[in-house]
Amino acid sequence: MLITLEETSALINEGKKLHIAGDDSLLSRLPKGNWIGGTTPYFISEEGGAFDKDRLFVSELPFAEEVRVATYGKYNVFQIVEECYDNGLTMIIMPYGSEVLAKYSKEAPDVEELLMHPVLGWIAGADLEEGENGRIKVYDGTTGESYTDKAVVMYIKLPEGKTAMINLINIFTDDKTDPVIKFNDNELSVIKCKVNGQEVAFADYIEKKGIDTRMPLVADYNGAYINTSIKSIENGRVSFYAPVFRDVEYRFAVKVEDYATEFKNRIDAAGARDPFFSCNCILNYLYGDLNGKKTPPYTGPVTFGEVAYQLVNQTLVYCEIVG
Amino acid sequence: MDAVAQEKITKILKGEIKYTSTNLAFNMMISKLQKKLQADPGSLDSCLTDMEAFLKKYPIVAKVDLANITAL
Repeated sequence: MLITLEETSALINEGKKLHIAGDDSLLSRLPKGNWIGGTTPYFISEEGGAFDKDRLFVSELPFAEEVRVATYGKYNVFQIVEECYDNGLTMIIMPYGSEVLAKYSKEAPDVEELLMHPVLGWIAGADLEEGENGRIKVYDGTTGESYTDKAVVMYIKLPEGKTAMINLINIFTDDKTDPVIKFNDNELSVIKCKVNGQEVAFADYIEKKGIDTRMPLVADYNGAYINTSIKSIENGRVSFYAPVFRDVEYRFAVKVEDYATEFKNRIDAAGARDPFFSCNCILNYLYGDLNGKKTPPYTGPVTFGEVAYQLVNQTLVYCEIVG
Repeated sequence: MDAVAQEKITKILKGEIKYTSTNLAFNMMISKLQKKLQADPGSLDSCLTDMEAFLKKYPIVAKVDLANITAL
């Protein structure tokens, strides 16, 4: 729910366990309590997509038996798989452009225990109009401290018999007859790749094929499509919002002609009953023109990367508590 | 995991039959173990142990998947 600073402060002071997203000017004025937060001024609320620096998006966690909050840097972020509750959910927020995010995004898929512990989260950002001057932070509400270079994590203990189900809504798919693209390493930017086994300059390949770079690379994880979005192409180097991984087969997504309609169709088809949290990518917000549009029952922050165990792009990620 | 489910899961991991779950983590697990098995065909027992641990960890959702897999 998108609510005022005063309303949010009241919930914190009542001792509620909360996840909060909003502009830094508001997060910095919240009282200490059982909450974590991250910066973004973009939201999908019950009223529709909105840019709002005057309200905060607050998700209550009434199912949580206990919560603990911790912060991690790039050297210890994967302690989350050891320090989480055995039956729980881990919510993580990382600042866009931070080293801890780079570390997490590149190495998470190789962490042995990651899939054994539900990890849900998002990447904090700022007003796109402010560019580099935007204040991107995450908050540990228990101390009131904010960070630009750490991940903040809330460990949530679930009641026995309950499980956190993390899922995603992705409008993109691939065409299995398209060329297979592979990369040599886990990288956030590349110059070369292999297309059907032949090494090529990736930027040249994109240009020659006339590929619309609003369409992400997609990888098929047993029917679950994971996107990697292209951030920029400069001087022959292609940069991504999330890493590409060695030994993973990618194809460019089939072009989506009507982004907003396709997005609505996928949401209708997903059929989630009662997600307590969702976050949607800023690229979906922009390319899908979601400002003012409703996506029930999915409401939450619009984010600069989404975490469904690993970092994903151009995706709506949500979580339900089942059982 | 009973013998029938184990046999079907073995076939899924070898790519001989296809099963897609509605559970994201399960699909990611299948994909991860398929790659592991492809890289090291001798790792089947280890992959099945990993899968069993995963399914035990999520009994609520595993129940549906195991029923679907057994019926394949």
